[in-house]
Amino acid sequence: MFGKLGWDAIPLDQPIPLIAGAVVMLLGLGMIVWVIAKGWFPYLWKEWITSVDHKHIGIMYVLLGLLMLVRGFIDAIMMRAQQAMAFHAGGYLPPEHYDQVFSAHGTIMVLFAAMPLVIGIMNFVVPLQLGVRDVAFPTLNSVSFWLTATGALLVNVSLLIGEFARTGWLPYPPLSELRYSPGVGVDYYLWAVQISGVGTLLTGINFVTTILKIRAPGMTYLRMPMFCWTALASCLLILAAFPVLTATLAMLTLDRYLGFHFFTNEAGGNAMMFMNLIWAWGHPEVYILVLPAFGIYSEVISTFSSKPLFGYRSMVAATLFICIVSFCTWLHHFFTMGAGGDVNAAFGISTSIIAVGTGVKMYNWLFTMYGGRIRFTTPMLWSLGFMTTFVIGGLTGVLLAVPPADFLLHNSMFLVAHFHHVIIGGVVFALLAGIEYWWPKAFGYRLDERWGKAAFWFGLVGFYVTFMPMYVVGILGMTRRLQHYDVADWYPWLLVSAVGILILMGGAACQITQLVVSFLRRHELRDTTGDPWDGRSLEWATASPPPVFNFAVLPQVQDAEAYWDVKRRAREAEELGGQPHYAPVEMPRNSPTGFVCAFFATLIGFALIWHIWWLMIVGLVGAYATFVVFAWRDVPEYVIPAEEVERIDRADRQARQEALSGAVTT
Amino acid sequence: MTMEADRHGLEHEEDDKGGASDEHSAHVGTYVLGLALATLLTIASFWVAKTHLIYDPGIPMALATLAVAQMGIHLVFFLHLTTAPDNTNNILALAFGLLIVGLVIFGSVWIMGHLNHNLMPMPQLMQMQR
Repeated sequence: MFGKLGWDAIPLDQPIPLIAGAVVMLLGLGMIVWVIAKGWFPYLWKEWITSVDHKHIGIMYVLLGLLMLVRGFIDAIMMRAQQAMAFHAGGYLPPEHYDQVFSAHGTIMVLFAAMPLVIGIMNFVVPLQLGVRDVAFPTLNSVSFWLTATGALLVNVSLLIGEFARTGWLPYPPLSELRYSPGVGVDYYLWAVQISGVGTLLTGINFVTTILKIRAPGMTYLRMPMFCWTALASCLLILAAFPVLTATLAMLTLDRYLGFHFFTNEAGGNAMMFMNLIWAWGHPEVYILVLPAFGIYSEVISTFSSKPLFGYRSMVAATLFICIVSFCTWLHHFFTMGAGGDVNAAFGISTSIIAVGTGVKMYNWLFTMYGGRIRFTTPMLWSLGFMTTFVIGGLTGVLLAVPPADFLLHNSMFLVAHFHHVIIGGVVFALLAGIEYWWPKAFGYRLDERWGKAAFWFGLVGFYVTFMPMYVVGILGMTRRLQHYDVADWYPWLLVSAVGILILMGGAACQITQLVVSFLRRHELRDTTGDPWDGRSLEWATASPPPVFNFAVLPQVQDAEAYWDVKRRAREAEELGGQPHYAPVEMPRNSPTGFVCAFFATLIGFALIWHIWWLMIVGLVGAYATFVVFAWRDVPEYVIPAEEVERIDRADRQARQEALSGAVTT
Repeated sequence: MTMEADRHGLEHEEDDKGGASDEHSAHVGTYVLGLALATLLTIASFWVAKTHLIYDPGIPMALATLAVAQMGIHLVFFLHLTTAPDNTNNILALAFGLLIVGLVIFGSVWIMGHLNHNLMPMPQLMQMQR
């Protein structure tokens, strides 16, 4: 009846996952009870869960990403604590649990923290920057989000029911084959990643279509803000790379479920093919994350230097260059696999070449700041922290790109230090900067600067103290993923690293305090004009938070810096542009399709993991029925009358007029 | 493959209901031509598979060529890929897709073929195990 699922699936003998799982479950249930008791459920259902508004979906993505970031960070704390305690000792985590912790840490951080945060910011910002009312396929967008949430849910369910993979964040065969991993851990990984991967692919389709097909009138490709360009490049990479991931994991699934031999040791299988294919996805994946991050820095640095972005066209070219070349470097993840000199040399060279694109960007940011009036706000601090950190991380990357050096450093702690250096210093800093930067747009009030700066300094210092020692132990010969060790030389460095994570915990605490403090002080931090940073692109041309239709009248773009151009003219004329002609606005209706689909997808995933075949059929039928019901929908849109649009816009125009006359008199 | 071609044709015809009538008949013309070409290519592949008229080891290559031609027919006649200005995005998407697929396939074949490079030749290996 319940396949492989039984009471023995619950780890009653392991207190750590049991207590952690119980606490998370109680918190979750408590939240649900609280929301229902307060009578907030209808609001939550109408405005958020069934919402197809890109702004709400974006915010939900970011919330999911932040929750998973905390989860992944807790895994990181556990690993640092384990290695600090495991010198000539067993530490406090048994090996099979430690293996699950590092596998979950990697999987969650890349696929369920960084990806939702990047996609969430893209969701919120891209349509606003393009000056349009929504993405190309709003309901599909909601489906994407809820499928990603399904994947995250499945990974976290594995904490309490069954186990997670012990294979590392990429389940290399033959270890991940049924013979060596007979438990459900790898299956949790496979189905969670597959389901959320479908969501990501749909996002890619949605945003490529949006950016190519619907932009404000007059916004040619070379007038798009830099963030839109990087989002486009990132989504193109999603379209090209995620099918590779899906196919590769599908092959591993066939091996595990139906006795195929794609990657087994016997019957002609070849495990090396898995490394090859998974990195053909895995390398573009890091650029899927980092390109939008570069976009965020471009926006932040240009705004807070009060200058247009230097070398806009070279930035676009560098972005597209990286987009293509990122598909030519994947072998550098397995130089040691046994390919000969020609192959290794070719991929080593292509890896060094891709750094050129990033170098172009780095100089562009430097020259953007040069001669500008720089405001050292929190997002700007994160950007400056990024520029120094990323260059160092990039240099260690160029070192690893040299095959002979890589043979010494492969899978050592040096590598761990390197990729954390570029992913934290590149992606996480950008996400924190981006959240800080666009928060007033999303919620109508700025975040508290003092706590934000504290979070930055703790974050930056904590980052260096945690990860620089890893380079040292890496050169001293420490490999990654060690549960315990006997080498005295490593011990002090790992203690330093543990101190670093304490500092990072301080940073996380400041970040959370910042959110709470800012919420409490939201009335004094209120952004009335919709343009708190003296911004340059179109998202600042509408109110904060933007009305559901984003723009009362679609903006006419006449310059690469659309809003700066409008503002300049308004300041010269000392008045806003003429009263626009308001027309009724058609907006997509909300739909529970995404949520219901994801509910059934959760059933399908869970059933497949535990071999509960009847439940899988129920899930498939349910998901298909949801699709049919959606396809039969007669009225996909509703109309907001012109008077309503005018009423909402008048308040915004008035605030801007006041700000303008205020600026002129002072 | 002809079945699929048929289905494509029908779907598009239904989609295009309500269009101008001469445009409609022009569409039917291209679909019929596409269908004929696709059928011809399908028959040709079945014929090539069995024939002795061409050099035997060349048969897989001939089949691959016919398959690529079939894709071309589908793209042009059923998916309406043209060189018209309104089709720039589609052409670029196709080019990007081909480039990436090419890179991944060529790279994978090269890498996997090269893997045994540092290994001892098989006879020598057997010698050592003896």
